[in-house]
Amino acid sequence: MIRSNPEHLIRDSMARFVDKEVIPQAQQIDASGEFPMELFRKVGEMGVFGIRYPRNKGGSGGNTTLYCIIHEELARGLMSLAAVSAMQCLMGTNFLFHFGTQEMHENFFLPAMKGEKIPCFCLTEPEAGSDLGAVTTLAQRTKDGFVINGMKTWVTNGPIADFYTVLCQTDPAKKLRGLNFFFVPRETPGVSVSQPFETLGTRTTRMSEVAFTNVHIPFEFMLGREGEGVSNLMSILSEIRAMTAALAIGLLRASMADAIQYAKERMAFGRPIGRYQLIQAKIANMATELEAARLLTYRATKMIDDKTPCLKEATMAKYFATEAACKAADEATRIFGAYGYSMEYTVQRYYRDSRFLLYGGGTHEVLQTNIARWAGL
Amino acid sequence: MDSIVLIKQVPDTTEVQLDPKTGNLIREGLKSIINPDDAHALEAALTLKDRFGGKVTALSMGPMQAIDVITEALGMGADAGVLLTDRAFAGADTWATSFTLARAIQQVGSWDLVFCGRQAIDGDTAQIGPQVADWLGIPQAAYVFAIESVNPKHITVKRRLEDGYERLQCRLPALITVIGEMNTPRFPRVDRLLAGCREKAPIRVFNAADIGVKTREVGLEGSLTHVIKTFAPKFKREGKILEGGKESVVRELIQRLKASEGATACRAFASACEL
Ligand SMILES: Cc1cc2nc3c(=O)[nH]c(=O)nc-3n(C[C@H](O)[C@H](O)[C@H](O)COP(=O)(O)OP(=O)(O)OC[C@H]3O[C@@H](n4cnc5c(N)ncnc54)[C@H](O)[C@@H]3O)c2cc1C
Ligand SMILES: Cc1cc2nc3c(=O)[nH]c(=O)nc-3n(C[C@H](O)[C@H](O)[C@H](O)COP(=O)(O)OP(=O)(O)OC[C@H]3O[C@@H](n4cnc5c(N)ncnc54)[C@H](O)[C@@H]3O)c2cc1C
Repeated sequence: MIRSNPEHLIRDSMARFVDKEVIPQAQQIDASGEFPMELFRKVGEMGVFGIRYPRNKGGSGGNTTLYCIIHEELARGLMSLAAVSAMQCLMGTNFLFHFGTQEMHENFFLPAMKGEKIPCFCLTEPEAGSDLGAVTTLAQRTKDGFVINGMKTWVTNGPIADFYTVLCQTDPAKKLRGLNFFFVPRETPGVSVSQPFETLGTRTTRMSEVAFTNVHIPFEFMLGREGEGVSNLMSILSEIRAMTAALAIGLLRASMADAIQYAKERMAFGRPIGRYQLIQAKIANMATELEAARLLTYRATKMIDDKTPCLKEATMAKYFATEAACKAADEATRIFGAYGYSMEYTVQRYYRDSRFLLYGGGTHEVLQTNIARWAGL
Repeated sequence: MDSIVLIKQVPDTTEVQLDPKTGNLIREGLKSIINPDDAHALEAALTLKDRFGGKVTALSMGPMQAIDVITEALGMGADAGVLLTDRAFAGADTWATSFTLARAIQQVGSWDLVFCGRQAIDGDTAQIGPQVADWLGIPQAAYVFAIESVNPKHITVKRRLEDGYERLQCRLPALITVIGEMNTPRFPRVDRLLAGCREKAPIRVFNAADIGVKTREVGLEGSLTHVIKTFAPKFKREGKILEGGKESVVRELIQRLKASEGATACRAFASACEL
């Protein structure tokens, strides 16, 4: 049986899309600060948002490896587009897909697969970041449903979203076991959204606070069985970390490619700067760390696809790939000399956008703490 | 309106590099793609299908790796694919290539239109489309950049000429070769690409026997022309920097141009400078 290899085919296809449609406008989109709705819709038309979901339920029938390949390529073009697309595929829709009603599936999940509705994921609160046990947004049980009160922050897509997946406490005495996810459509009375934050990187992605004041929702808007919120979150944690690692690989590749090109062209002391060993060392480190990041990341995605637990592997991948991407973007700005400091060139964007990767899916201090524990400390 | 689209897998470069020793194309490090004009041909067929319904079949002759252009065509929206692959097809000239493609088209079933690219970026002859039409005994329109109208009996197209365009009406079935100006090819959908990689994908793989041709009619054996030698023309350039004062440099330059062998234009230029 002669058939194509889906991983190669989808990587090549996304790479062509990124080279033709994303890279030529990436600088201008970033400078404008506007959410690239048109590009986002195009990504939706290509069936990307359904990549993790089965075909018979409105998805595209892929897996985590393909999900990560696609988002690695998108991140090579424009991190803010990749980040929003990644959220659309995973955190924004996962619990709705698994635990939502048929009506939610039709009115929210399927439109989200086409990019016609935008989701977001609300965990973080002003007083609860790494420590989710400190979440205080309360979902109080009433006779006909729940009433939500509280404040979420750093909500990616907050200002433009059509619906939210919100982590709430239903019984503060139970601490982590009292945490549950809820589905909240944007139009529900009592939902309000702040102005978007001014941020260092991913400048076209909108982050904001979302406040919930006496928001009434029916019982079926609780996503998952009561008491299983944290374990449901854990079920996608490896995937969130592997995906962030893939975004980092994309950014690392972009930094390295632009740095190599510049090092070949820029002359100093009569030769291209790429002929100097100190510049070569920077590129050599980028190339080596890129390979290592790939091996860590795609080992983790294969394990996820094989349903083998791999939180350790995915955590190491996210930690290593992100640090490598931050370093590569930093070194690229140095190779560019003063032009690395100019808003006209790409590398300043990579440098700013690399910082975006540090926090989601766990800060590196938290990840290192986990890794040290798994190592036996 | 059922269509067949001929798509060729080509290396992703317009600057084909030849191995100076063997004269073969250097393929290492080159990605393969759908020949650019063929993506436009496929888009044209898919646009017709979007408007009038019908079935689009992508057909390619090539090595087994050419399966990727078939899958990509399914990703863009083709309903079925046919890969013609057989050692016997190798080394074909345009005569044997067009004969093989025409025989395969006759196997595929009913169709109203055959779409081709105008030209392949590697072989570059632009002969295949017209030759296939000839084998099939159907009318053809080459260099098409617009389809004005289609009905069950006729198609009216605009074809690019050097100094304008020509409106042409053909009886159906007909063959059209398409130029890039015609449209912007859509990107493949990932769900369709994945479906195209599955065993159950609507792809048929044919060898020489399947399309009812004898091995001596196809490939190198069936070719009327044989490539004796392939080489990259050498452009020797020697740089020489003249030094000294302006006047002496210009004088020396003119002397050198006048003396240059075989370069009539250079000598004429030098004489003009002296005037
Ligand atoms: C661009 C961006 C988008 C985001 N999008 C979303 C979103 O869509 N939804 C959402 O819910 N959240 C989102 N977040 C928030 C993100 O998840 C949090 O920033 C993250 O969980 C860390 O929380 P914090 O920022 O409050 O840091 P804190 O938890 O306050 O940590 C502050 C510092 O203390 C360190 N620290 C904390 N605990 C420990 C410990 N035990 N040991 C050692 N060091 C520790 C941290 O590593 C960090 O250096 C986003 C953040 C950013 C920057
Ligand atoms: C590396 C190399 C080696 C060759 N060796 C020989 C040789 O030994 N002897 C020889 O005579 N010729 C040889 N050729 C030329 C070869 O015969 C032509 O490439 C082939 O016949 C197609 O012609 P073309 O590429 O010029 O296509 P064109 O006529 O420029 O293509 C026009 C259109 O025809 C269709 N088409 C063309 N080829 C195919 C295909 N295979 N499958 C589906 N559709 C197709 C496409 O729609 C294309 O856009 C060689 C070519 C190459 C690149």
